[in-house]
Amino acid sequence: MGPVYNSIFWQLVSRSIRTEYLENLTGFAWLILQPLLLLAVYAFVFTSIFQARIPAAEHIGFVPYLAVAFWPWTAFSEAILKGSNTIVANASLIGKVAFATELLPLSMVTATFMMHVAGYLAVLLVLQFTGTDIHWLGVLVATPLLFLLCVLAGAFTLFFSALQVFVRDVAQILPPMMTFWFFTTPIVYSTSVLPGKMAEWLQWNPITWFVGRFRELILFGSYQPSLPDLLAPLGSLVLFWLGLKFFRRFSGHFEDFL
Amino acid sequence: MTQPLIRVESVSKFYPRVHKPWERMRAFAALVAGREPQGGAEVLHDVSLEVRAGESFGIIGENGAGKSTLLKILTGVISPSRGSVWVNARVAALLELGAGFQPEFSGIDNVRMKAALLGMTAKQLDQRLDEILAFADIGEYVYEPVKHYSSGMVVRLGFAVVAASDPELLITDEVLAVGDESFQKKCIKWIESFLQRGNTLLMVSHSMYMVQKLCHRALWLQNGRTQQLGDVFDVTQSYLAWHETRNAQEKRGRDEQGGGAGIYRIDSFAVAGFANGEDVQLRNGQDLQVDLVLHSPDGRPPVGLIGIVRADGTPIYGVASDFDRIRPEQLDQNRFRYRIRFTALALLPGSYSVRGHAMDPEGLRLSDTAEWRMRVVGESRELGLVRLPHDWL
Repeated sequence: MGPVYNSIFWQLVSRSIRTEYLENLTGFAWLILQPLLLLAVYAFVFTSIFQARIPAAEHIGFVPYLAVAFWPWTAFSEAILKGSNTIVANASLIGKVAFATELLPLSMVTATFMMHVAGYLAVLLVLQFTGTDIHWLGVLVATPLLFLLCVLAGAFTLFFSALQVFVRDVAQILPPMMTFWFFTTPIVYSTSVLPGKMAEWLQWNPITWFVGRFRELILFGSYQPSLPDLLAPLGSLVLFWLGLKFFRRFSGHFEDFL
Repeated sequence: MTQPLIRVESVSKFYPRVHKPWERMRAFAALVAGREPQGGAEVLHDVSLEVRAGESFGIIGENGAGKSTLLKILTGVISPSRGSVWVNARVAALLELGAGFQPEFSGIDNVRMKAALLGMTAKQLDQRLDEILAFADIGEYVYEPVKHYSSGMVVRLGFAVVAASDPELLITDEVLAVGDESFQKKCIKWIESFLQRGNTLLMVSHSMYMVQKLCHRALWLQNGRTQQLGDVFDVTQSYLAWHETRNAQEKRGRDEQGGGAGIYRIDSFAVAGFANGEDVQLRNGQDLQVDLVLHSPDGRPPVGLIGIVRADGTPIYGVASDFDRIRPEQLDQNRFRYRIRFTALALLPGSYSVRGHAMDPEGLRLSDTAEWRMRVVGESRELGLVRLPHDWL
């Protein structure tokens, strides 16, 4: 990871931010508005139609409960979806210039997280001013977790972006897959409302742990360490390493298939 | 410093067939299994070369000969299917017009990206930015999106960044052909000073003039194979000769004429110093001596015509015995001998033919032709076919 690697990386990050998020003046506004609208849709559907209740967080309310988990998920999901497309989308660059191509998906993931973390902070501020008790110390503790989530997104993105070069169908399969993942993660509901067996299975979803921790830290201000706290970071790093290995195993052949 | 800067060892390259989805899947399955995907076109076959530091090297050949693929392998954009490549230098490649330039971004943004891709850190770029802008010399346009640029401006900017990246090895394609005269001169000047500083150049060009001017050694690729590798003058001359011969063959195919077995015919046609059937090879400035024996069925001396044509058939000079009122040496009843010497041959290096013709005694009808292929070698950079006597005043 020399200085050159670094400077290419940050050039790509700033380029991604500008093309993906700040292309026009309202770009950044939409970055916050779009998830806010989605949040409103979910809030409406789940509180008004399904009358969903979160037994463990009656005093907090559904919207803050949802919002705190929703933004990290949006960053995670969007990072994977956008990042997985980067190799195919940059075919012309890859065919002409030799560089560490893994920087393309990784810079997109980083850009997406940077933008959504900014949106996250804005939303937390809005929640604070609308009467929700935000634990700012918890937010500080959650920062490394966001970074870890970004690493995990990087792991999946490395894998899928390389795979998509060879199997173009990945672009079609990935969005429904992420939607499935969204609903199998306790974001719009709490694990406590699930039947026992299901709740047990969901513990194997790594995002379950992330989402639970964000809520505990930011909404409840509580932090009780447990075994998954050790496994999740370790697992994320191992997955990232495997993703990078997979990517580099095939990156030399990209040009033949693009 | 004897360590070669570039070493290419028996490199072959197949492009796997990946147009249909099942072909992609099969090729991918082969990769997963750790094998090379089969099928597809072989673009390079068993190419080896070495380039030492401070040397400059040209790659020539027809379109589709595999030159660009070889460059892509050298820059690391693609990996060879077989064989291995080492490049031990800070490389800058100038392969295509504004490779890595994104049209939506301004020139300055693209300069930053390109500089990073060329291995410059942000700090180094800040130090060299003024130099880059001065070299590119496109004024306020640097703040405009690149999509508004002319192709010349893109090349200017691209070259300026490459020049500032201070490479040890410059790999370049035909790109310098774009851009106006003065910028081309600026680039050539920069490349010359770059070479003087002991750096290395590897270039692909269709301009033999450029290759001869800039390179020491050259590789001629033909259908992905090494046709010739060696001194730049040898390689470029054989390449040109091959081209001219091929063009001539095409031409001859078109106007294939009868003739040959007229009544006045050639008995023998020799070039002094060369065995029959051998190609004549001379250095420019050497003498060429030709010996033509004609057969005359009626005993009257025929007219001998001796000439030199370029390999594609373009006449350069021809002279007949009756122009100069030469009487041939009569060998016997029916055979007449003509001898001529072209002193200090003024032909420039290239490929030619020496032709002898038999004509009737009136010098009106050509009845027989014989030909020697001749190659003139030398290290002249003069242009054209012949050296005209001159004095610089």
